[in-house]
Amino acid sequence: MTKITTTIEPISLGDELKDVRIVKFDGQLDETNVDIEAQKIYQIFTESKKKVVLIFDLSNLTYLNSKSIGYISDWNSKAIESSGKIFVACAHDNVMDVLRVVGLTNIIDFHLTVEEAKLSAMNV
Amino acid sequence: MRPVSGDGSTQSKPHAMGMIRPAQTSGDQNSEARITLTLPRNAYFMSGIRDFTLQMVMNMTGFSEQWAFRFQSVVDELCNNAIEHGSGPGTEIKATFISKPNESIEILVEDTQTGMVPRTAEDMRKILKDRLSEDHLQSTSIRGRGLAQIVYSWTDELKFEDREDSKGLRVRAKKYLSKS
Repeated sequence: MTKITTTIEPISLGDELKDVRIVKFDGQLDETNVDIEAQKIYQIFTESKKKVVLIFDLSNLTYLNSKSIGYISDWNSKAIESSGKIFVACAHDNVMDVLRVVGLTNIIDFHLTVEEAKLSAMNV
Repeated sequence: MRPVSGDGSTQSKPHAMGMIRPAQTSGDQNSEARITLTLPRNAYFMSGIRDFTLQMVMNMTGFSEQWAFRFQSVVDELCNNAIEHGSGPGTEIKATFISKPNESIEILVEDTQTGMVPRTAEDMRKILKDRLSEDHLQSTSIRGRGLAQIVYSWTDELKFEDREDSKGLRVRAKKYLSKS
Protein backbone atom coordinates (compact mmCIF):
# COMPACT_ATOMS: atom_id res chain seq x y z
CA MET A 1 0.00 0.00 0.00
CA THR A 2 1.26 3.48 -0.85
CA LYS A 3 2.31 5.46 2.22
CA ILE A 4 -0.25 7.93 3.51
CA THR A 5 -0.97 9.38 6.94
CA THR A 6 -4.20 11.19 7.66
CA THR A 7 -4.47 13.39 10.74
CA ILE A 8 -7.72 15.04 11.75
CA GLU A 9 -7.50 17.88 14.26
CA PRO A 10 -10.61 19.54 15.69
CA ILE A 11 -10.27 23.31 16.08
CA SER A 12 -12.53 26.03 17.43
CA LEU A 13 -13.46 29.09 15.44
CA GLY A 14 -15.66 30.45 18.23
CA ASP A 15 -18.92 29.08 16.85
CA GLU A 16 -20.53 26.18 18.69
CA LEU A 17 -22.77 25.42 15.72
CA LYS A 18 -19.78 24.39 13.65
CA ASP A 19 -17.69 21.24 13.79
CA VAL A 20 -14.41 22.44 12.30
CA ARG A 21 -11.56 20.04 11.59
CA ILE A 22 -8.22 20.36 9.87
CA VAL A 23 -7.53 17.27 7.80
CA LYS A 24 -3.91 16.77 6.81
CA PHE A 25 -2.69 14.15 4.36
CA ASP A 26 1.01 13.18 4.35
CA GLY A 27 2.06 11.08 1.36
CA GLN A 28 0.17 10.04 -1.75
CA LEU A 29 -3.50 9.21 -2.22
CA ASP A 30 -3.97 6.50 -4.81
CA GLU A 31 -5.91 3.37 -5.67
CA THR A 32 -4.26 1.37 -2.89
CA ASN A 33 -5.16 3.57 0.05
CA VAL A 34 -7.85 6.13 -0.72
CA ASP A 35 -10.84 3.92 0.09
CA ILE A 36 -9.48 3.29 3.58
CA GLU A 37 -8.56 6.93 4.24
CA ALA A 38 -11.93 8.10 2.92
CA GLN A 39 -13.76 6.20 5.65
CA LYS A 40 -12.05 8.40 8.26
CA ILE A 41 -13.60 11.46 6.64
CA TYR A 42 -17.03 9.90 6.19
CA GLN A 43 -17.00 9.06 9.90
CA ILE A 44 -16.95 12.79 10.68
CA PHE A 45 -20.17 13.29 8.73
CA THR A 46 -21.75 10.26 10.38
CA GLU A 47 -20.93 11.36 13.92
CA SER A 48 -21.30 15.13 13.79
CA LYS A 49 -24.60 16.82 14.52
CA LYS A 50 -23.24 20.27 13.60
CA LYS A 51 -22.27 22.13 10.42
CA VAL A 52 -19.24 20.26 9.20
CA VAL A 53 -16.41 22.51 8.08
CA LEU A 54 -13.30 20.73 6.85
CA ILE A 55 -10.03 22.43 6.00
CA PHE A 56 -7.82 20.12 3.96
CA ASP A 57 -4.15 20.92 4.48
CA LEU A 58 -2.46 19.44 1.39
CA SER A 59 1.03 20.77 2.11
CA ASN A 60 2.43 17.24 2.39
CA LEU A 61 0.29 15.55 -0.24
CA THR A 62 2.42 14.85 -3.30
CA TYR A 63 -0.05 12.93 -5.49
CA LEU A 64 -3.75 12.21 -5.74
CA ASN A 65 -5.63 10.20 -8.34
CA SER A 66 -9.04 10.73 -9.90
CA LYS A 67 -10.84 8.58 -7.34
CA SER A 68 -9.41 10.76 -4.54
CA ILE A 69 -10.78 13.78 -6.33
CA GLY A 70 -14.16 12.06 -6.54
CA TYR A 71 -14.11 11.61 -2.78
CA ILE A 72 -13.24 15.29 -2.20
CA SER A 73 -16.17 16.24 -4.40
CA ASP A 74 -18.45 13.92 -2.42
CA TRP A 75 -17.23 15.30 0.93
CA ASN A 76 -18.01 18.76 -0.37
CA SER A 77 -21.58 17.65 -1.11
CA LYS A 78 -21.92 16.15 2.36
CA ALA A 79 -20.52 19.28 4.02
CA ILE A 80 -23.02 21.43 2.12
CA GLU A 81 -25.84 19.08 3.19
CA SER A 82 -24.87 19.83 6.80
CA SER A 83 -24.86 23.58 5.98
CA GLY A 84 -21.09 23.51 6.27
CA LYS A 85 -18.32 23.71 3.69
CA ILE A 86 -14.89 22.39 2.81
CA PHE A 87 -11.75 24.32 2.03
CA VAL A 88 -8.46 23.26 0.49
CA ALA A 89 -5.16 24.86 1.48
CA CYS A 90 -1.47 24.62 0.59
CA ALA A 91 -1.83 22.35 -2.46
CA HIS A 92 1.38 21.65 -4.41
CA ASP A 93 1.44 22.88 -8.01
CA ASN A 94 0.97 19.39 -9.48
CA VAL A 95 -1.91 18.64 -7.11
CA MET A 96 -3.51 21.99 -7.88
CA ASP A 97 -3.07 21.27 -11.59
CA VAL A 98 -5.04 18.04 -11.46
CA LEU A 99 -7.73 19.56 -9.24
CA ARG A 100 -8.07 22.34 -11.80
CA VAL A 101 -8.32 20.07 -14.85
CA VAL A 102 -11.25 18.16 -13.36
CA GLY A 103 -13.00 21.39 -12.45
CA LEU A 104 -12.83 21.15 -8.68
CA THR A 105 -11.49 24.69 -8.43
CA ASN A 106 -14.87 25.86 -9.70
CA ILE A 107 -16.81 24.39 -6.80
CA ILE A 108 -14.42 24.44 -3.81
CA ASP A 109 -12.55 27.32 -2.16
CA PHE A 110 -8.78 27.07 -2.40
CA HIS A 111 -6.32 28.99 -0.21
CA LEU A 112 -2.58 29.43 -0.12
CA THR A 113 -2.40 28.90 3.64
CA VAL A 114 -4.37 27.15 6.37
CA GLU A 115 -4.70 30.48 8.20
CA GLU A 116 -6.41 32.01 5.14
CA ALA A 117 -8.74 29.02 4.99
CA LYS A 118 -9.57 29.44 8.69
CA LEU A 119 -10.52 33.06 8.10
CA SER A 120 -12.86 32.02 5.28
CA ALA A 121 -14.28 29.22 7.40
CA MET A 122 -15.35 31.75 10.03
CA ASN A 123 -17.87 33.11 7.52
CA VAL A 124 -19.63 29.80 6.88
CA MET B 1 -14.17 16.37 -30.05
CA ARG B 2 -10.99 14.92 -31.50
CA PRO B 3 -10.90 11.35 -32.89
CA VAL B 4 -10.53 8.56 -30.36
CA SER B 5 -10.31 5.57 -32.69
CA GLY B 6 -7.08 3.99 -33.86
CA ASP B 7 -5.20 1.33 -35.74
CA GLY B 8 -3.04 -1.67 -34.78
CA SER B 9 0.17 -1.93 -32.85
CA THR B 10 2.85 -4.38 -31.73
CA GLN B 11 2.71 -7.23 -29.23
CA SER B 12 5.07 -8.09 -26.42
CA LYS B 13 5.84 -11.49 -24.92
CA PRO B 14 4.33 -12.38 -21.54
CA HIS B 15 6.42 -12.19 -18.39
CA ALA B 16 6.52 -13.75 -14.96
CA MET B 17 4.10 -12.68 -12.25
CA GLY B 18 5.13 -10.76 -9.18
CA MET B 19 7.76 -8.59 -10.81
CA ILE B 20 7.99 -5.30 -12.58
CA ARG B 21 10.73 -5.37 -15.10
CA PRO B 22 11.54 -3.76 -18.39
CA ALA B 23 10.56 -6.21 -21.10
CA GLN B 24 12.17 -4.28 -23.86
CA THR B 25 14.25 -1.15 -24.16
CA SER B 26 15.79 0.39 -27.21
CA GLY B 27 17.38 3.57 -28.46
CA ASP B 28 20.22 5.84 -27.42
CA GLN B 29 19.89 9.23 -25.78
CA ASN B 30 18.71 11.03 -28.92
CA SER B 31 16.68 8.39 -30.70
CA GLU B 32 13.29 6.87 -30.00
CA ALA B 33 13.24 4.85 -26.80
CA ARG B 34 10.69 2.16 -26.09
CA ILE B 35 10.38 0.72 -22.61
CA THR B 36 7.87 -1.98 -21.75
CA LEU B 37 6.93 -2.87 -18.19
CA THR B 38 4.85 -5.89 -17.31
CA LEU B 39 3.14 -5.82 -13.97
CA PRO B 40 0.77 -8.01 -12.03
CA ARG B 41 -2.86 -6.99 -11.73
CA ASN B 42 -2.26 -5.13 -8.49
CA ALA B 43 -2.32 -1.38 -7.88
CA TYR B 44 0.42 -1.91 -5.28
CA PHE B 45 2.98 -1.47 -8.06
CA MET B 46 1.60 1.82 -9.32
CA SER B 47 3.59 3.96 -6.90
CA GLY B 48 6.79 2.69 -8.53
CA ILE B 49 5.36 3.15 -12.02
CA ARG B 50 4.47 6.76 -11.17
CA ASP B 51 8.01 7.44 -9.91
CA PHE B 52 9.44 5.87 -13.05
CA THR B 53 7.16 7.92 -15.31
CA LEU B 54 8.05 11.18 -13.62
CA GLN B 55 11.80 10.61 -13.84
CA MET B 56 11.66 9.28 -17.39
CA VAL B 57 9.63 12.18 -18.75
CA MET B 58 11.74 14.79 -16.95
CA ASN B 59 15.05 13.24 -17.98
CA MET B 60 14.47 11.78 -21.43
CA THR B 61 11.87 13.75 -23.33
CA GLY B 62 12.34 17.52 -23.19
CA PHE B 63 8.95 18.02 -21.53
CA SER B 64 8.67 20.42 -18.60
CA GLU B 65 8.26 19.31 -15.00
CA GLN B 66 4.59 20.30 -15.19
CA TRP B 67 4.02 17.93 -18.10
CA ALA B 68 6.00 15.20 -16.37
CA PHE B 69 3.55 15.38 -13.46
CA ARG B 70 0.63 15.46 -15.90
CA PHE B 71 1.86 12.41 -17.78
CA GLN B 72 2.37 10.68 -14.44
CA SER B 73 -1.36 11.11 -13.81
CA VAL B 74 -2.22 9.93 -17.33
CA VAL B 75 -0.20 6.72 -16.86
CA ASP B 76 -1.62 6.09 -13.39
CA GLU B 77 -5.22 6.50 -14.57
CA LEU B 78 -4.77 4.26 -17.61
CA CYS B 79 -3.03 1.52 -15.65
CA ASN B 80 -5.62 1.67 -12.87
CA ASN B 81 -8.40 1.31 -15.44
CA ALA B 82 -6.63 -1.69 -16.97
CA ILE B 83 -6.19 -3.27 -13.54
CA GLU B 84 -9.71 -2.59 -12.32
CA HIS B 85 -11.78 -3.12 -15.46
CA GLY B 86 -9.64 -4.99 -17.97
CA SER B 87 -7.92 -7.72 -16.00
CA GLY B 88 -8.99 -10.75 -14.05
CA PRO B 89 -7.20 -12.35 -11.09
CA GLY B 90 -3.81 -13.80 -11.95
CA THR B 91 -3.34 -11.76 -15.10
CA GLU B 92 -0.91 -8.99 -16.01
CA ILE B 93 -1.06 -5.62 -17.64
CA LYS B 94 1.60 -4.17 -19.91
CA ALA B 95 2.68 -0.53 -20.06
CA THR B 96 4.90 0.60 -22.94
CA PHE B 97 6.51 4.04 -23.00
CA ILE B 98 7.64 5.41 -26.35
CA SER B 99 9.75 8.52 -26.04
CA LYS B 100 10.81 10.56 -29.05
CA PRO B 101 13.13 13.17 -27.53
CA ASN B 102 12.02 16.73 -28.18
CA GLU B 103 9.01 15.42 -30.10
CA SER B 104 6.55 13.27 -28.15
CA ILE B 105 5.88 10.84 -25.34
CA GLU B 106 3.42 8.00 -25.72
CA ILE B 107 2.05 5.38 -23.36
CA LEU B 108 0.42 2.12 -24.45
CA VAL B 109 -1.46 0.17 -21.81
CA GLU B 110 -2.60 -3.35 -22.61
CA ASP B 111 -4.98 -5.49 -20.60
CA THR B 112 -6.29 -9.00 -21.13
CA GLN B 113 -9.99 -8.15 -21.29
CA THR B 114 -10.61 -10.61 -18.49
CA GLY B 115 -12.24 -8.19 -16.06
CA MET B 116 -15.77 -8.53 -14.67
CA VAL B 117 -17.22 -6.63 -17.63
CA PRO B 118 -14.88 -7.00 -20.64
CA ARG B 119 -14.76 -3.84 -22.75
CA THR B 120 -13.86 -3.64 -26.40
CA ALA B 121 -12.27 -0.66 -28.12
CA GLU B 122 -15.71 0.33 -29.39
CA ASP B 123 -17.12 0.16 -25.85
CA MET B 124 -14.36 2.44 -24.63
CA ARG B 125 -14.96 4.98 -27.41
CA LYS B 126 -18.61 5.12 -26.39
CA ILE B 127 -17.78 5.43 -22.68
CA LEU B 128 -15.41 8.29 -23.42
CA LYS B 129 -17.90 10.03 -25.70
CA ASP B 130 -20.62 9.76 -23.06
CA ARG B 131 -18.38 11.10 -20.30
CA LEU B 132 -17.18 13.98 -22.44
CA SER B 133 -20.78 15.01 -23.01
CA GLU B 134 -21.58 15.06 -19.27
CA ASP B 135 -21.46 18.20 -17.16
CA HIS B 136 -18.60 17.07 -14.96
CA LEU B 137 -19.18 19.85 -12.45
CA GLN B 138 -22.55 18.28 -11.67
CA SER B 139 -21.10 14.81 -11.31
CA THR B 140 -21.74 13.24 -7.90
CA SER B 141 -19.93 10.02 -8.72
CA ILE B 142 -16.68 9.06 -7.02
CA ARG B 143 -15.43 7.49 -10.26
CA GLY B 144 -15.38 8.52 -13.89
CA ARG B 145 -13.06 11.53 -13.96
CA GLY B 146 -9.80 9.82 -14.92
CA LEU B 147 -10.30 9.03 -18.58
CA ALA B 148 -12.43 11.92 -19.76
CA GLN B 149 -11.02 14.72 -17.65
CA ILE B 150 -7.40 13.82 -16.95
CA VAL B 151 -6.25 11.49 -19.75
CA TYR B 152 -8.23 13.17 -22.53
CA SER B 153 -7.37 16.70 -21.40
CA TRP B 154 -3.66 16.06 -21.08
CA THR B 155 -2.98 14.11 -24.28
CA ASP B 156 -3.20 15.00 -27.96
CA GLU B 157 -4.13 11.54 -29.22
CA LEU B 158 -6.15 8.92 -27.41
CA LYS B 159 -6.81 5.65 -29.22
CA PHE B 160 -8.53 2.43 -28.20
CA GLU B 161 -7.57 -0.74 -30.05
CA ASP B 162 -8.59 -4.37 -29.79
CA ARG B 163 -5.36 -6.35 -29.70
CA GLU B 164 -4.56 -8.34 -32.82
CA ASP B 165 -4.72 -11.62 -30.91
CA SER B 166 -8.19 -10.66 -29.63
CA LYS B 167 -6.97 -11.16 -26.09
CA GLY B 168 -7.33 -7.70 -24.74
CA LEU B 169 -7.61 -3.97 -25.11
CA ARG B 170 -4.83 -1.54 -25.89
CA VAL B 171 -5.07 2.15 -25.04
CA ARG B 172 -2.64 4.59 -26.62
CA ALA B 173 -2.20 8.10 -25.25
CA LYS B 174 0.26 10.48 -26.89
CA LYS B 175 1.42 13.99 -26.08
CA TYR B 176 3.43 16.16 -28.47
CA LEU B 177 6.03 18.51 -27.10
CA SER B 178 5.04 21.17 -29.62
CA LYS B 179 1.53 21.25 -28.12
CA SER B 180 2.64 21.39 -24.48
